[in-house]
Amino acid sequence: MNGLLLSGFEIAANLLATAPQNTGVTPANFWMPEGASIQAPGVDFVFNLINWINYVFFALIVVVMVWFCIRYRQRSKNVEFAPGPVHNTLLEVTWTVIPTLILIGIFFMGFTGYLDLYTPPKNSYDIKVTAQQWSWEFEYPNGAKSTDELVVPAGRPVRLVMRSKDVLHSLFIPDFRIKQDLVPGRYTYAWFQSDAVNDPDDPSDFRWLFCTEYCGKSHWNMNVQVKVFGEEAFDQWTKDQARWLDMIDDEDLYFMAGPKLYARCVTCHSLDGSDGSGPTWGPRAGMGDLWARITDRTGKIDGGRKSNGGTSLEDYIGPGKLYETAEDYVRASIYDPGALLVSGYGNQMPTFEGQLNDRAIDALIGMMKNLDEFNPDGSFKDQARVEEALARIEANRAAASQGAMEQQGTTPGDGDDS
Amino acid sequence: MTTIDTPRAGDLAGAPPVAGAGPVDNYLTWTKGALSWIFTLDHKRIGVMYLTGVLVSFLVGGLFALIVRTELIAPGKTFIEPETYNMFFTLHGAVMVFLVIIPSIPASLGNFVLPIMLGAKDVAFPRLNLFSFHLWMIGALFTVLALLLGGFDTGWTFYTPYSTKTDVGGVVPVLFGVFILGFSSIFTGLNFIVTVHKMRPPGMTWFRMPLFLWAVYATALIQILATPVLAITLMLVGLERAFQIGIFDPAMGGDPVLFQHFFWFYSHPAVYIMILPAMGIISDLISVHSHRHIFGYTFIAYSSVAIAIFSFLVWGHHMFTSGQSALLNTIFSAITFSVAVPSAIKVFNWLATLYKGSIALNTPMLYALGFIFLFTIGGLTGIYLGTLNVDVHLHDTYFVVAHFHYVMMGSALIGFIGGLHHWWPKMFGRMYNENAGRIAFVLVFIGFNVTFFTQFMLGSQGMPRRYYDYKPEFEIYHFISTIGSYVMALGFFLTAIYLLHSLFRGVRAPANPWGGRSLEWQCTSPPPHDNFKTTPTVGDCYDFSVVRWDDDENGYVVDRSQMDSSTESSGSGH
Repeated sequence: MNGLLLSGFEIAANLLATAPQNTGVTPANFWMPEGASIQAPGVDFVFNLINWINYVFFALIVVVMVWFCIRYRQRSKNVEFAPGPVHNTLLEVTWTVIPTLILIGIFFMGFTGYLDLYTPPKNSYDIKVTAQQWSWEFEYPNGAKSTDELVVPAGRPVRLVMRSKDVLHSLFIPDFRIKQDLVPGRYTYAWFQSDAVNDPDDPSDFRWLFCTEYCGKSHWNMNVQVKVFGEEAFDQWTKDQARWLDMIDDEDLYFMAGPKLYARCVTCHSLDGSDGSGPTWGPRAGMGDLWARITDRTGKIDGGRKSNGGTSLEDYIGPGKLYETAEDYVRASIYDPGALLVSGYGNQMPTFEGQLNDRAIDALIGMMKNLDEFNPDGSFKDQARVEEALARIEANRAAASQGAMEQQGTTPGDGDDS
Repeated sequence: MTTIDTPRAGDLAGAPPVAGAGPVDNYLTWTKGALSWIFTLDHKRIGVMYLTGVLVSFLVGGLFALIVRTELIAPGKTFIEPETYNMFFTLHGAVMVFLVIIPSIPASLGNFVLPIMLGAKDVAFPRLNLFSFHLWMIGALFTVLALLLGGFDTGWTFYTPYSTKTDVGGVVPVLFGVFILGFSSIFTGLNFIVTVHKMRPPGMTWFRMPLFLWAVYATALIQILATPVLAITLMLVGLERAFQIGIFDPAMGGDPVLFQHFFWFYSHPAVYIMILPAMGIISDLISVHSHRHIFGYTFIAYSSVAIAIFSFLVWGHHMFTSGQSALLNTIFSAITFSVAVPSAIKVFNWLATLYKGSIALNTPMLYALGFIFLFTIGGLTGIYLGTLNVDVHLHDTYFVVAHFHYVMMGSALIGFIGGLHHWWPKMFGRMYNENAGRIAFVLVFIGFNVTFFTQFMLGSQGMPRRYYDYKPEFEIYHFISTIGSYVMALGFFLTAIYLLHSLFRGVRAPANPWGGRSLEWQCTSPPPHDNFKTTPTVGDCYDFSVVRWDDDENGYVVDRSQMDSSTESSGSGH
């Protein structure tokens, strides 16, 4: 008995001890997820306030109703029914005025809270957000782009400048308590500040970003992780991100860059042969995997803007035909997806022209060619080779920064003159 | 005694009844044959046909819901593809809104009950009434056609530019179907407004009308004022798809948010098309089954009309995160809160009616009490969504899904089913098995709360709506929710069985099984073709002090000797 009590006490003490350690975070409760932005406590406060008001009114209504139903239940059909009161002014005024005053109060709390959510501080860090069916692209002031994650700096306000390329989307980060639709043809804005730095090595520590405006087939899968980095780590990340493709050696490109780029393709194109919005890269029944279908030129074609009436890739790929090589066809399919349509699939895919450069296309083609080296989720099987490649990138980076420092040291002001 | 100036509700097809054709002359046995139903001008038969259509649609929409819930029972693919899932949640929403809830109370119960309650022989325009039913059938057929042509995956809200771009084949047919359904709704509303204004018999003043009539009247106002906007909007979407006219698509100079304004300008009032008549039913059910004068009659009557008017001014609260300006958001939030007050007061009025009543927990009353419970949750959770900063977090999550199911299903549809049980003996002259009714209610009530209360937690924790798959931490809620939906389905299945059983094996219903005072309980069950042989006596329809149980009748009777002649009138004054 004593032991049980003690262990219960210990658990409670542990809970209390661990909860406030993570700064900038309000812990999850029965209703709300963790709050990880400076706006979250304000939203949660109004939510909880309404909660308690509602508990009281709901309990009052249900208790009175059940009590009346028991107390005044009809015991016999042979009774005379009393006429009863028709109304009571004092009672009616009371139960009109009290809810009205409460509702006015809640309105003003929601209104002032909303202005805080709506108005970004002047010194905000801008990130451009572009949504399209069914992926996100985040662009940073230094030109760095990210599509598989949203990385944000901790401890400073971040403003999202958002647009959509096709239909309505909506950006929702539950842990930050923000949501804003992205509307084609106009810019919309959202802002937040998170002081809760994530542990980069613990994926369960990251936040989630969801699309919350229905946008078609893969709406449910238009999610990426949000990572809050400390100042130094964030600066390093944006620098690397701006030139990450260039830092990878050519022979490592397909397994280092491939999975990262494939994160935008995965919502429609599977690797394991299962059907999606677009043709799988893996084996289709009796036809082999994507690269085999293209190089054998057996893939079936169902029209498209550049269709010449041919029904298989044989009619399109080859010397003198629309595409000289299989690689040409893949590249064209990514830049101009409506040109030729694979049999059984509609014209769904947006263009990636201007978003994927030559090295990115090379990486994706390399991945298609070596599909057996990848797991179905797109990750590379041989993690040892990844470690080696990372070490080479680290060495390249060190050499590059060494070179940059030397250059700066020998020719000061060079950057201003050029 | 003056006769009521009513157009005779004759039949286009079929002769008047042969003497002695049935044991008792009633509207069911008046004429025979399918044509005598399809081309009937009798509001009661039209009401029954609407009821059949609505219940069949409810079965179909319910099966779609079960498909959606079953897919969501576990993460990952359970049994259908994402495209199929998107079609089923769209179909579920469109069928339930346009084919079930909007016509449920006004067109089926309203058609049957309104003229009798009013003391009239039919609605003002019986032919228009038949025409609106035929339009409803055509609209429903277009929805079926849309299914056959490849279905549609736009969500029931048809948001542009997705709805103008998606390449599935059923979008245009369903837009056209809803367009036609809209006209069916407009004509019904027009008919009811004229009927209430012009067909009240002597003594039936505005403030003697049962509250159900006030509610249906207020609903009719919304139907004729708001529905044309929906019709025009859907036509524009159709034209945009066909001819690229560039109203909504920014690529052609349009504005997708404009569609949302147009759509919610109808669809928010449409929420009140659904809930107002249910509130009217509940007012009457609570009063009749507790045999107690309704508390605050005048307030409830006026608030129905006030809610109808205010319902036109709050549409922007569906668009707080749409990119609408902060000023508009603030105004819409403020007006939204002002609509909350009359709804809250109605709940207090119903509770006060129960006080010192003689409460009979019949199946209809259980549904009415269930309505108060569920509507309270639906209403109180609306406060979170009207509050600007909290709505930003909750918008387009399962919290919204749970909230509107509590209002549209837990309230509007439960009100409809309560009304159906209340007037079932009147409509078909048979009593259903009361114990089966109570058991089914308990199943529906528990199943409903298990299904939808869990969705509040899902939503506030960040689960977006219209998602085919979800993160593992949401699994337990989805699992519980799906189990709840099966319990609810079981309850409705049981309801279908005992109601069908009652048609053939039910005990014959007395004229007044519950002790109601409004006029429909004065005519036989089922009512005769002409409703009333003589002009009915109009009294205070909430004064139960003259109602007595009669063992010979096996029902209640109104003791006329007890009537206070100063409050009753027959044929005097108009």
